This record gives sequence, C-alpha cells and structure tokens, in this order.
Amino acid sequence: MKDRLVSALKKSAADYTEVRFEINDSNSITFRGQEIDSVSSSKLSGGIVRACTRGGWGMAVFDSLEDLGNGIREAGEGAVLVGREKTELAETAGPATAEVPARLERDFRGVSLDDKIKILSGYNTILLKTDKSIATTQANYSDSFRTVHFASSRGNYFREERPRVILALSAVARDGALVQRAYDAVSSKTTFNVVQGLEALAEETARRAVKLLKAPPCPGGVYPVVLDQEMGGVFAHEAFGHLSESDFLYENPQVRDLMVIGREMGVKELNIVDDGSHPGLLGTQAFDDEGTPTGKTYLIREGKLVGHLHSLETAAKMGEKPTGNARAIGRGVPPIVRMTNTYIEAGKMSFKELLAGVDRGIYARGMMGGQTMMEVFTFSAAYGYRIENGQVGELVRDVVLTGNVFQTLHNIDGFGNDLKILQKGGGCGKGGQSPLPVTDGAPHLRIRDVVIGGK
Amino acid sequence: MPDSNLDKMRAELLHGLDVAKKQGAQGAKLSFGRGEAISCSFSAGRLKDTEVRRSSAYVIEVLVERKRGTTAGNDPADLPEMINRAISLARVGSPAHFSAYPAPAETKKVKKYSGKTVKITRAGLIENCGKMVDALKRYNPDLFIEAQGSRSVSEGLLVTSGGVSHRFEDTAWSLGSLAQKTEGTDMLFVGHGHSFREVNDFYNPDLITERLLFDLKHGEKIVESPEGRLPAFLPPEVLGMFLWPLVLGVNGRNVAKGDSPLRGRLGEQIFDPGLTIRDDPHWDFSPGAAEIDGDGIPTRVMMMVEKGVLKNFLYDLDSAGMAGAEPTGNRGCMPYSPEVLPGAEKSGDLLASIDDGIFIRELIGYGQSNMINGDFSGNVALGFRIKKGKIIGRVKNTMIAGNIYDLFKKDVALSSDRDPMLRLPSAVVQGLSVSTSK
Ligand SMILES: [Zn+2]
Repeated sequence: MKDRLVSALKKSAADYTEVRFEINDSNSITFRGQEIDSVSSSKLSGGIVRACTRGGWGMAVFDSLEDLGNGIREAGEGAVLVGREKTELAETAGPATAEVPARLERDFRGVSLDDKIKILSGYNTILLKTDKSIATTQANYSDSFRTVHFASSRGNYFREERPRVILALSAVARDGALVQRAYDAVSSKTTFNVVQGLEALAEETARRAVKLLKAPPCPGGVYPVVLDQEMGGVFAHEAFGHLSESDFLYENPQVRDLMVIGREMGVKELNIVDDGSHPGLLGTQAFDDEGTPTGKTYLIREGKLVGHLHSLETAAKMGEKPTGNARAIGRGVPPIVRMTNTYIEAGKMSFKELLAGVDRGIYARGMMGGQTMMEVFTFSAAYGYRIENGQVGELVRDVVLTGNVFQTLHNIDGFGNDLKILQKGGGCGKGGQSPLPVTDGAPHLRIRDVVIGGK
Repeated sequence: MPDSNLDKMRAELLHGLDVAKKQGAQGAKLSFGRGEAISCSFSAGRLKDTEVRRSSAYVIEVLVERKRGTTAGNDPADLPEMINRAISLARVGSPAHFSAYPAPAETKKVKKYSGKTVKITRAGLIENCGKMVDALKRYNPDLFIEAQGSRSVSEGLLVTSGGVSHRFEDTAWSLGSLAQKTEGTDMLFVGHGHSFREVNDFYNPDLITERLLFDLKHGEKIVESPEGRLPAFLPPEVLGMFLWPLVLGVNGRNVAKGDSPLRGRLGEQIFDPGLTIRDDPHWDFSPGAAEIDGDGIPTRVMMMVEKGVLKNFLYDLDSAGMAGAEPTGNRGCMPYSPEVLPGAEKSGDLLASIDDGIFIRELIGYGQSNMINGDFSGNVALGFRIKKGKIIGRVKNTMIAGNIYDLFKKDVALSSDRDPMLRLPSAVVQGLSVSTSK
C-alpha cells in the first residue's frame, strides 16, 4: 500500500498533496423492546486526496484505489483553480514511516455474533424487567475496525488501525402521558471486555427512568450549580473546547483577538487540556489525519489562555506549532481541527466541600446533549438533584443549562479532587462530520449563577 | 454516466438475489446507488477549496425464516461476501413482520432529474458564491463570510425477490452562505441556504443574501429580552423544526413499538383546527421527491393532520406488519416532503399583530429534550424582540421551553404566504415560555 500511495503522489505538481485511504469494517446489533430491531454489518473503503497550491485546496473523493491517479490529478487541478496566495503549511513532525497496529486486550473480531447477541439480550431483558412502568428499551452493540493509510508528498506514510466497541442502553418509562428516558453507555478502543458484566448498569439505567417519572421538572431560574464529571467534561468540550479550534480563529481577526494567548479566561484554578496521546482513550490515536503525531496541549493554564488546537495550515498561519488535531471522521472527508480527549484538571475540594457552599442550587448529572454557538452554550443533564443547605435532595428532571462561556469560566468557584474522563458512546459533531470519537472529563465543578431553563 | 455500467450492476444484483435464495434466503432485496458531486467553498471572504466526489454503495437485506439481516458495502468484489454475511446475520437476526417483499405496483412518475442541474459547472457555483460574498462585504467589510455551493448527479437501482426492478436518476444543487459579526464577546451568526433538484427561481444567490441582510440589520441592536408567557413568531423553517416531535410521533415504527404518544389516537383533535399537515413525495424536484420506498412500495400523498385532527401514521413494510397496518410507502416511516397548508393572513400582518413577543430565527439545543413526547427547550441563538408589531432588535441569553402538543393545541395563526421551497407558512403561537438571564 505504501509504495502504491507514495508513487502515485510523485505525479502531483501541487505544493503539497496527501492521500488517505481507509477500510472500515463494522457491525451493529440493536434491540428495541422485546425484539431485535436490526442486525447489520458493513465493509466500506475509500479515500480522499487533498492538494494545495498557492494556498488553495483541491480535493477528490473516491471509492476504489483504481481511481487514485485520477483523484490526484483532479485535486491538483482544483488547487490550481483556487490558489491565489501562498501555501503556508507547518512542517510535519514525527517519523517518515510508521505502522500502528491495534493493541486489543480482547479483540471483538474474535467474538461470535451469537455471543454478542446473547450479552446484549441479557442487558435488554434486565432493562425490560426492572419495573412495570418500563414501556420500551433500546440496547445497541456496535463495533468498528478502521484501517487508515496516509501518505503525503513530503514522503510521510503511516498505517494506523483504529478499533472501537460501543454498548449503549436506554430505557423509557411511561406513566400516562408522561415519558422519561434514561441512558448510559460504555465504549473502548482496547478491549471487548468493557461490554461484559454490565448487569448493574442496566438495572440502574432502568431504575433511573422509573424514578424520573416521579421527579418534578427542574425549576427555571439562576442558581449555583454543581456539575458531575460527565457534565463538567461536556462543559470543557462544548463551551470552551470548540472555541480553541483554530480553523475557526485563524482567518477571523476579531475572534483571534478574543482568543489571544495570555487572555484571562477564567479563575486561577482553571486548567484545561486536550490530549490525543493519552493512553487507551477513545479520542487517542498515534497520528492525526495529516500525519502529525498527537500530543498533550494545555489550552488554559491557571486561568490564562495558553494554547490553540491546530492543523498544519492553522499552525503555520498563526505562527504556532501543529498539535495533531486535524481529524477526519472517516473515508472521503477532509480533516478539520477537532478535539481528542479534553478535560479540566482536578482541584483540591472534596465533593462534600463543594456542596457545603450551596444553600439552594442544582446538582446536574449525566449528559443528554450539548450544543454551542460559540459564546453561547446549552446543555441538558440526564437528570439532577436539588441542593439544599449543602445536601443533595430531591431528584429533578429536564435540567437544561445555558450561558455565556466567557462569563461562566469566571464563575467556577469550586474544583473537585475527583477528575474522571468518561468513555461513553457519544461523539463530537462539527462541519457535518459526526460522531467523531472523543472523550471529555472533569472533576466535580461548582459554578455560580447558571441559567436553568424551565417551563 | 454510461448506462451500460448500470445495466451490468443490475445483472450483478439480480444474480445476488439468486445466490441469496440458493443459500437459503426466502427473500432478498438489493439496492445500489452511485453519484458524482462537485462543490466549492469560500472562507474568510474568498475561495478556499473545491472538491470532486465520486461514491457508490450497495445495501443487501435478506430474509431467512422470517428474520432479517442487513449488510452494506461499496466494493463490487465484496458482493458475494456481503451476501454471505447478510445470510448469517439473518439466521439470528431481527424478526421480520412480513412474509415476502411485495410485487411491483404502479407508481406515480415523479421528476427528480434535471438536465439544467447537470449543466451547473464549478465555475457557475464559484460565481454564485462570489455574489453572495460580495454583497455581504458591501454591507460590512468586517464580517467573517463563508459560502458553499454544490451540484450532484446520482443514479441507482433496487431489485427485490418480489419482482421489483426499479431504476432512478436524480440531481440536486445547493447554495448557502454564513456570516459572523464579532464585537467584543458578542458573536452574531446568520446563515441561510437553498437546495433543490431542478434549477429554478430558488437558484438565486440574491435571495439568500437578502435573508442574511435582513437578519444582520435587525440584529445590529441588542435589546432587552422579554420574559414570561409570550406570543412568538415562527418563520417557516422554525415552524418546521417545531413539528419534529410530530414527525417522530407519526413514525409508524414508534407507533408499533409503543414509543409514540400518538398511538391509539387517530381521529383525535391534537392541534388547532387551522393546522393541516401532509406529506407530498410527488412534488416534482423537491429534495424529498420519491416514487417508491426502500421496499419497492409506491409512495403516496399522506395526510398526517387535517384541520388539527390526527389522520394517519407513516409505515414502511416491516413496521406496518408489526402494527397490523397497511404500509404507506414511507421509507424509515419518515415523511418525504412534509408541508403545512397556508392560513389566512399575510405573514407581515401576523407579525404586526404582536404587541410584545419574540421572533425566533435559530435555536440551539432544541433536540435535547424528550422530543418524542413533544417536549422542547432551546437557547435562542438568533431571535428578535417584537414590540407594537415591529422588530426592535436582537435578544440574547434567552431560553424557551414547552411542549408542542400544548403550544399548537389552540390559538395558532398561520400565514397565507409560504416559503415556496419548504412549503411552510409562518406561524404565530401564544403563550410560549421564555426565560432569560441578564
Ligand atoms: Zn463537539
């Protein structure tokens, strides 16, 4: 493969050309209610060529390697048509050639379909049988094995295998017209074993859906809020992380001013990190999809903005170092600047100490969804509790938090000592590429003056 | 694209049907599609990249002892392997709620392929994107401007053991633009796009720019946001978004599985009598235009809600079997081109009738609630305050929440003018819950 890609690239006259070819073999089983709803399997391969000439990009997407030469020619022609400036791309760091095979403690490809179904069916039965008010369930198992070949006109080549297994459970409880859903998931890139032994998780998920039926909606208003590690992680990713992606900054002077290195972003205890090289996490890979080795990047240190996430182009144009964050979701789409494993570092306070500072507030737990429109973020907790006089109280549902990230980072007034990076099934969406495997994490966080939406 | 190639593929798919049967499948369906697309995008106000995309894929579903297995691939050489995989999946697979794929039936011809769209060139796309960018720059040279244009041509096949052998060709184009204004930590985003299958009046960069300029101009001034239960003006695409829970509710699979709150409620008044919502897959050149669904069943115009009364659920073959209903030709139990019939008053008059309220243009986080239940909540990413019938400025830090089955139950006014590309009117609803942080 290497020789084939490298020799094809020699025909390119562009300033820079790269090709990425992928084969993705994946399987999925879904139970919905009593029955299996679908069983599917796919094997898809294809690639993309990107060429840059005088700063303009041309791209060609193809399925078969037979079309590689044609793709290189078409991408090159496109780049010539577009380019009016200067090609500025940072140097590619790292080795010229690398092979990164998957290291699986237990390989899901060796597990039979029957066994996968048996495991999933077991959890689904628990979800269904936990309580009479469970109206329906959904249990999904999926695995994918992605093999990525990358070569560039700079002579770099890597092959990296990127496996992933996900198990997601959801239960819907009903009481008349009221419907409540609870969800949980586990995911791994290192072993099939994570999807086993989850009986307790299944039961807890079903019980939560049932309990939410009796829970009152979270009252709207402005409250001090304690976020659990999952919500804190979502906050780090959604509210702040996307702002540090330089493809959004590098050609936009006003936003660059806003995200300038050295800017006071939050309180002194705040440290936010993105680390694509953290061993064994879902957002981890050896190389990004431009051949840059991944690494650990501090985005905020002691409350000050200290770094951005980069591709080769954004790094060169902002005069910074590439960080290995150019990622593509799969075959046939270009890499764009993305997060990997993003987290807020731990502080010193115990969970009890965090709560002690709250007379009347909300403890938000689990993620249902999160979205940002740059400065504005909105995210929904899976569930929450009232906090009264420093004690966790009544369960509440429909907890939707919103705010302005710049204000909110200054309003964090407590950092727990219990950092956790969550490996769930979800992923990040950007530029039509979703879901990209990422993780996020945080310690428990306490934030003043958070807006909670209510009816 | 040369026809002979597709004929060869058809022969391979038909052969695949035989192979599946020989291996013990009682039924099978195989589909294939391939397309070519060209696109360009502008970033920071100038042309940034262009792309040529060629892709293909096939999907196989087999039926073994009333169980189904599904596989997909895109390398023709893998076809035998993927048929094998489908058979082994089906042996343990999902129960099928039908015994055979239906025989071919007469379909309504729906236009999806336009020679005019095929003739759209990369240069033409670049020119149109350039027009949008230039017009926005003229309004404000400090805007961060993006624009995209694309054109695609596709063709495909569906063959089933029921005897269906269907071939399709379609075309599509899209044009869109996005502008961002940043002042301090205030960021204003506006965006709009058009897409259709035929080159017609919608293929007009000026219309897109006009809409962006409307939002930019009305968004210049930030005003205090209102609070409480208020009337809200929902422009066509936002009305469409508010109707998502209905789409989930009439989804036949959700009905059959018991997830839909509308199950067992056909004939019930669920909305204001002014609301009539139907699905029209036969609208020539619309993005959702379709003659048949994924099982080869002809599509039809389906009334979902008539004068506020729930009329029909949408079923594909398997879900219909599960529910004991007739399949309605809706792929994935989803509508193709849902439309809302117009109301009585001009949208301008509707807006003018609001004394104090909110105009919602863009929401974020809308889909995070228990949507199938009708619950919604969201942050108003772009919205305006209406006072004494006029837009007075942009609101910030504003949340809305509610349930669509409450909100659309009564006092809904629809405009007589509709967005011609979406076939949706504007709406004014009463008593939307709006909260804010200052
Ligand atoms: Zn994200």
